[in-house]
Amino acid sequence: MGKKLPWMLLTPGLVLLVLFLALPLARIFLPTIFDGQLSFDHYINFFQDEYNMRIFVRTLKISVIAALISIVLGVPTAYFISRCGKAWKSILMALSMFPLLTNPVVRSFAWIVILGRTGVINTFLTSTGILQQPLTLLYTEFSILVGTIYLFLPIMIITLVGVMENIETDIVEAAETLGANKLIAFVKVILPLSVPGIIVGSVLVFTGSLTAYTTPQLLGGNRNMMMSTFIYQRAMSVGDWTGASVIAAIMVVTTFIVMKGMNKVAEKLDRREGQDA
Amino acid sequence: MSFVNLTDICVSYDGKTNVLDQLNIAMEKGELVSLLGPSGCGKTTTLRVIAGLIDTVGGKLMVDGRDMTKIPVHKRNFGMVFQSYALFPHLTVFENVAFGLKLRKLDKSTIEARIKEVLEITDLTPYGNRYPKQLSGGQRQRVALSRALVIQPKLLLLDEPLSNLDAKLRVNMRTEIKSIQKKLGITTVFVTHDQEECFSISDKVAVMNGGEIEQYDTPENIYNRPRTEFVARFIGFENFIPLTKTSDNHYLAENGNAFQVVKQGDEEGTLATIRPSDIKITPTNGESRNNEIQGQVLVRTFLGNSYQYDVETSLGKMVATGPCDKVHQSGEKVTLYLPEQKIVLV
Amino acid sequence: MRKNIGLTIISGLVFAFLFIPLLIIVITSFGEGSTITFPISGFTLKWYQNVFQSETFTASFKVSFQISMIATVLALLVGIPAAYALSRHSVRGKKLIKGFFLSPTVVPGIVVGYSLFQFLVISLRIPVFQGLLFGHFLISLPYAIRVIGSSLEQFDFSVEEVAWTLGCSKIKAFFKIVLPNITSGIFASFMLAFINSFNNIPVSMFLSGPGVRTLPTAILNYMEYYYDPTVSAVSVLLMIGTIVLMLLIEKTIGLSSVSK
Repeated sequence: MGKKLPWMLLTPGLVLLVLFLALPLARIFLPTIFDGQLSFDHYINFFQDEYNMRIFVRTLKISVIAALISIVLGVPTAYFISRCGKAWKSILMALSMFPLLTNPVVRSFAWIVILGRTGVINTFLTSTGILQQPLTLLYTEFSILVGTIYLFLPIMIITLVGVMENIETDIVEAAETLGANKLIAFVKVILPLSVPGIIVGSVLVFTGSLTAYTTPQLLGGNRNMMMSTFIYQRAMSVGDWTGASVIAAIMVVTTFIVMKGMNKVAEKLDRREGQDA
Repeated sequence: MSFVNLTDICVSYDGKTNVLDQLNIAMEKGELVSLLGPSGCGKTTTLRVIAGLIDTVGGKLMVDGRDMTKIPVHKRNFGMVFQSYALFPHLTVFENVAFGLKLRKLDKSTIEARIKEVLEITDLTPYGNRYPKQLSGGQRQRVALSRALVIQPKLLLLDEPLSNLDAKLRVNMRTEIKSIQKKLGITTVFVTHDQEECFSISDKVAVMNGGEIEQYDTPENIYNRPRTEFVARFIGFENFIPLTKTSDNHYLAENGNAFQVVKQGDEEGTLATIRPSDIKITPTNGESRNNEIQGQVLVRTFLGNSYQYDVETSLGKMVATGPCDKVHQSGEKVTLYLPEQKIVLV
Repeated sequence: MRKNIGLTIISGLVFAFLFIPLLIIVITSFGEGSTITFPISGFTLKWYQNVFQSETFTASFKVSFQISMIATVLALLVGIPAAYALSRHSVRGKKLIKGFFLSPTVVPGIVVGYSLFQFLVISLRIPVFQGLLFGHFLISLPYAIRVIGSSLEQFDFSVEEVAWTLGCSKIKAFFKIVLPNITSGIFASFMLAFINSFNNIPVSMFLSGPGVRTLPTAILNYMEYYYDPTVSAVSVLLMIGTIVLMLLIEKTIGLSSVSK
């Protein structure tokens, strides 16, 4: 009985996954490389097209910048939270979680209200006479970037707080007794020990930005497409199903490469650092 | 003026109750002073006040003639060794030890020379390139010590540095710490709850209880002449007998037994106590002389180099130990003799 | 704790950045004007009225709720035994299987949505509601496996074995001993999966159809044609829902158990 039971319990899940994940994915990806014979032409063509590349590069660019800015904003905030007393910490953590549990439509919509031609910023600038004409802030790479950072910053914060909390307080105190003021202690002790968390957070932000749909759709529109909105457009507006599949495959492979790459980096650092046994 | 002076130090965590209340203690240069006591007695708090990691609500800290009370931690130049060692996991042994020196903007060759020197003293020379997680507990402890010593601090503060080591290592390390301390002549404050460890290496011991110092004296004096009941109990005295004074050096117990006591100083206390090992236990002799109590053996326990007897007497239960060659049986009627020079009044 | 003023300011600004936009939405939901303006003129609740009276929104809410509920329950029904099998027994290739179960989170939502669209809608022509169900089940399953899996990691299985020695059958022991002790894990995964499914857009978008769409999809649709505070009102209602759920989680198992 011992050998059989676990498999009986796993089978329903495995079958359903194969049916609804593996199979559908295979069905859309296989045709892109197998057209009677193995060929990567679809992909070569994709990368040779200037229009396609612009979208691909834009997606990568925004994802990288979003990750970097999230680090810059997230690290001090997470450090602040990790040094708070119990009561404040749970309040701030709850506040950080709230955006994550709120619908992405709502979160992106907020920036339409702020960045639109009749939005908060433009209303303020024109009504106070600073500008005559409203700025075009929406449907730009800038608006996508802001929306993306807005979307993923909480994840970075929460990830970092977890890591920083694990750094024992007496390590910081030891640094202080040796002559480090609070800033130096942060830069020379907390920051290096937070690097694994920074890496994890960055991967989450980067891959999230790479694959998110709602935010680029609402804040970028069809003028500034990202890979995800590109897929939708190819599939539903243009009806180019193979094209959509190719983009999807590139997205999946890119995500996979980044995640694996980051894992390797994290492993390397782990060998150097690590906690006391 | 002593080298270190804590005057009327008050510490409170919640603004209502004082964890330390009007604490006063003075230490001389080059001394190894221990703060001894059970958990919660305030010894670690006192150490952290000296380090600057805890703010005081009142009082003053003077070190080498300078008022350190308001000076922030990183400017005090006191080396501290934490109970968990608090080594930087992302730095090698060398880099850990160099940390404080680099902050003092010393040049590379000075740093390397000093590190080499201190690693020799603590016997860590071959481990410079290892990371903390590759070291044993004893080695980590020595790295923590090296890191604190290399900055040539005015004070060395040790917070239960040996608690996490196994018994044998603890004994070895404490002698090492003492010899390094003596060699460098560094004034050291040592916090521990282990009485034997404390007594073996300290010049002076402060026995603490509930945020106050019960007795501050050399280990020998504390061992032989505890001043308060708490200290006596802490260091192994038992058999507490309330007495009333009849005349100089003469006392009476509740059951009428008379006691003669040789006082060392001017103790006012009337609670007599004596170590189990100082009581002479003999088969009952039927007489009733001074400093004697009659009783009956309840339980006998074998301690290895002696026997311990729980004896029921008219003054309550008393504990005495006797040699292995003169064994007394359970139920035997015995006489307990308390030599007058061994009785301590607290 | 002596804290840096600079640090406090930066953190304050970050939290302002995170919450002021949401605050703006709340405010705009009460404006009189027929388009969204800020600041608002007047005060009205008519946009909220609009939402509750709207066939589109109420119907899509019902759809979302039903889909997410059923999908989450299904995910638990399939996921609990699977998680149990993975942590209780040493199965060959355990790591691989667990990775496989968690893979829907690694595949981008838009790709999942698109592949299911091709498979369920185009090829199999499955009715919309069922299609949505399968899709949401797929994205909920990893939550069941991961959260319940970690609950089980912390579970001391010797309690189960004691039950066996006392004469309890394995199935009975599972229901009487194991399940009651992982209720917090089950609840946590239920909440996380439900919220994730309710908020999902890529999968819902591809699988929604005329008459049967989820609430997020309906809102997106609405936004293509109208720019009035109805959207703000719906957003506020969704935010209130999130707060209620968060309070529920905090009161029962504590929010700390769901933050990764």
